[in-house]
Amino acid sequence: MTKKLHHLSALELNRAFIEGQIRAVDIAAYFLDRIQIHNPKLGAFLSILAERALIQAEAIDLKRSQNKPLGRLAGVPIAIKDNMHILNEITTCGSKFLKNYRAPFDATAVHLMEQEDALILGKTNLDEFAMGSSNENSAFFPAHNPWNVKCVPGGSSGGSAAAIGARLSLLATGSDTGGSIRQPAGLCGVVGFKPTYGRVSRFGLVAFGSSLDQIGPITTTVADAALAMEVIGRHCPQDSTSLTLPPESYLDTLNNTNLSEITFGVPWHFLENLAPESRTNFSNSLDVLKGLGAKIIDIDLDICKYAIAIYYILATAEASTNLARFDGIRYGERSSQAKILDDVYELSREEGFGAEVKKRVMLGTYVLSSGYQDAYYKKAQKVRTLVIRSFERAYDRCDAVLLPVSPSTAFPLHSIHDPIQMYMQDIFTIPANLAGLPAISVPSGFDNNGLPFGLQFIGPQMHDVPVMQYAHAYEMATLYTRKIAPAFEGT
Amino acid sequence: MNDSSWEPVIGLEIHVELNTKSKLFSSAPNRFGDEPNTNITVVCTGQPGALPSLNKEAVRKAVQFGLAVNAKINLISHFDRKSYFYPDSPRNFQITQYDEPIVIGGAVIVDVEGETKIFGIHHAHLEDDAGMLKHFNTFAGVDYNRAGAPLVEIVSLPCIHSAKDAVAYASAIRSIMLYLDASDCNMEEGSLRFDANISVRKKGEEILRPKIEIKNMNSFHFLEIALNEEIRRQISLYTENPNQIWEKLVPPGTYRFDPNSKTLVLMRRKESADDYRYFPEPDLVPIRLTQEYVDSIQSALPELPQDRYRRYITTLGLSEHAASVLINDKPLSDYFEAALRLYPNPRLLCNWIMVEFTGRLAEGGKTILSLGIPPANIAKLAQMIDENRITSRIAKSVADDMVKNPLLDPETIVKNNPDYQPVSDPSEIEPLVDQVISENSQTVADYRAGHEKAFAYLVGQVMKKTRGKASPQVVNELLRKKISIALS
Repeated sequence: MTKKLHHLSALELNRAFIEGQIRAVDIAAYFLDRIQIHNPKLGAFLSILAERALIQAEAIDLKRSQNKPLGRLAGVPIAIKDNMHILNEITTCGSKFLKNYRAPFDATAVHLMEQEDALILGKTNLDEFAMGSSNENSAFFPAHNPWNVKCVPGGSSGGSAAAIGARLSLLATGSDTGGSIRQPAGLCGVVGFKPTYGRVSRFGLVAFGSSLDQIGPITTTVADAALAMEVIGRHCPQDSTSLTLPPESYLDTLNNTNLSEITFGVPWHFLENLAPESRTNFSNSLDVLKGLGAKIIDIDLDICKYAIAIYYILATAEASTNLARFDGIRYGERSSQAKILDDVYELSREEGFGAEVKKRVMLGTYVLSSGYQDAYYKKAQKVRTLVIRSFERAYDRCDAVLLPVSPSTAFPLHSIHDPIQMYMQDIFTIPANLAGLPAISVPSGFDNNGLPFGLQFIGPQMHDVPVMQYAHAYEMATLYTRKIAPAFEGT
Repeated sequence: MNDSSWEPVIGLEIHVELNTKSKLFSSAPNRFGDEPNTNITVVCTGQPGALPSLNKEAVRKAVQFGLAVNAKINLISHFDRKSYFYPDSPRNFQITQYDEPIVIGGAVIVDVEGETKIFGIHHAHLEDDAGMLKHFNTFAGVDYNRAGAPLVEIVSLPCIHSAKDAVAYASAIRSIMLYLDASDCNMEEGSLRFDANISVRKKGEEILRPKIEIKNMNSFHFLEIALNEEIRRQISLYTENPNQIWEKLVPPGTYRFDPNSKTLVLMRRKESADDYRYFPEPDLVPIRLTQEYVDSIQSALPELPQDRYRRYITTLGLSEHAASVLINDKPLSDYFEAALRLYPNPRLLCNWIMVEFTGRLAEGGKTILSLGIPPANIAKLAQMIDENRITSRIAKSVADDMVKNPLLDPETIVKNNPDYQPVSDPSEIEPLVDQVISENSQTVADYRAGHEKAFAYLVGQVMKKTRGKASPQVVNELLRKKISIALS
């Protein structure tokens, strides 16, 4: 091996392993070492599953030595967002409430990856119950941005994005309810893919907003995201909302696109208030795509100015019921102060939940209450339908929509105090969740402080493969994905 | 309820637990009576990350019920979350159908004491059951074995006007579920539970007065007592306080029936409407049915209790009483059907099953079914009677023996007991006939004078002398011949 292992992509490392250039136990040890060294300043991992990774690595090495067939992810180190279950391991969801909760089953996505011989290194940090855009809502400690550890990595999959940005792992899972894969991927200069709603099973993902949640990969390259999707993008009978479609081929067709036949839509009016530096970066990206032959047209997605408002009604409404099960009766935190049943509920939730979670549960309860439901929940559902229609109309004229990933690059920890300003982080990512669309975030350059920007491709439902093709074409023309945060380039 | 100027208005919500193999949203066994918390999966205990997936068998049974009561089947229906905190609710929301239930409308036709009544159904929906709290000395526990069991909740229109009618309607629903094999309707195990909404008003009044709700009754008997008790209470309140505001006299509230004191116990006042914050369940896609699917269930529906009732009366010639008793006891009715297939004399079979054997077993608390007498043996017994192979008097003794030895068939019983062999040799019977004629000259004279009844008396006398063993046919022939000869 001439190259350092963490400079490889997952595909390259998998190939090196299959070809016998390196043992799985060495891969596991190498990345576990990196985690040991760098995690204290990054806070990317909440738990490190060293023993599990090494046992799995030995098993894979044995398989290889016996010439048994090896999985698609053989030897690839992966990190799991800590709101997805690994059988018999702790799933905290970044919450004190579940700090001792041992998962009684595997999430389907985790199971599929482990079946393909991936090496699970650990569980990554997140905003409590995936509620947040900066990872500052983790009940344990915040995660940090590899490009500047004084800055946030984004959220809620901040730990996964930071881990990939710092190359502590080569593949990580995220969950995306309103941008929780794409926004941190954008802020950490890595690739994040949110599949079409229903493409990846949610079984074993602790729910936030069930109609919006979607699991997807965070990787260093688009091709690695394609590899991950071939493994986890499968129908699952245990998730009723799982699409009953055959798995798609992503990798084979990744280079098949000729952008000169592609039209991208840009909702210029919706981008009116974009900050100058972000606008410049976005325009540069459009120039790259034009240079590749793509046609860019103006489309109308003005309805998306309501996206944040309706998102914070629908997601919190669903969350208020999804989180009702955390009551101190069956599992998780139970207040030692509780004397009667109502105490068990009130004190356990009071002590177990953080401020943002409580706020969203209250908001969600309020918008569903009788007398308010028509004005909030039901109206928001109607507007959601309008958002879907708006995208459908746009896709009559273009193949994919282009948007920045977030309004700005990473911001310093504890710098945003106004909740609305924090919620605005997701203005460009939420629309894809509302409409269930596949969307990918790819690195698109850096600001004056060396912090990464991200570009977002949003396709029509089920067009996961084309979305990845466009992103791949852009990636190959820019090579921003080759850049590693300077502090983490070396060992 | 003596005061006929008052009219009770009752609506029933009937919870029927479906007898599917697994639960409504998980693969856990749907079984009663096992060790606590053994029939559970991660779905039943509301583990984070667990997702419901719908049991198609439960959907099929709900559709069967809808078709059985001539309801409209909603081709697209969906589930909703109903939020409330209680330890037996593993997610703290129930998955139910709120505004788009699977079954809409329909009606049940019932004969109540000879009068045909029609009870309208508002809708029926699918939902999952809660677990059960168990209280111990120093703590309480929850058993989630029942959590997630499939329920159909059948909501009637407020069209029931007496406790008796309520019981008749509820019994009819139970029969339908049993005939569909959709539920075991076991009341002790809670497979059939009633909630009742009840108010009273002056006859002719258009508006409804305030209602109260009685929750969770699991016996027809309690249902009747509870409703009558509440009807009486409300009427006396209105009668004694004619000028008081209704809502003050009968404030809305939820009660339960205490079987020990036979009174209603207030659970809670409804200060304001409960807020369950219903909204569509995002973890489940809507139930989409095709018309072909519904049609195929329709064409495969088994015979329903009311159809069977009509057939018993019009085709089989049973009495209304017998038909009604039979259809309300499906296992007994099925037993009757099995015997009928082997020997088609419905009235004779019905009499033996419902009168003779039931009478013999009444005291021991057993039934012809629990005793295990094969229906074929009853059919055989009836056939032997019809073919004059035994007299009805002997048949009764044979029946006594069948109760003692439930698996012994009547032919063997008769063959092994010389006393049961009918005497049909005329030479044995003739002397007895002569004896009877000479002992009853007056009766013979009556017969000759045209009194046909006298003949039956003479037959009876001969039978008595043979201790019931003589073939009635032979006795008849001999007797008729002899009296007629004497006449000429």
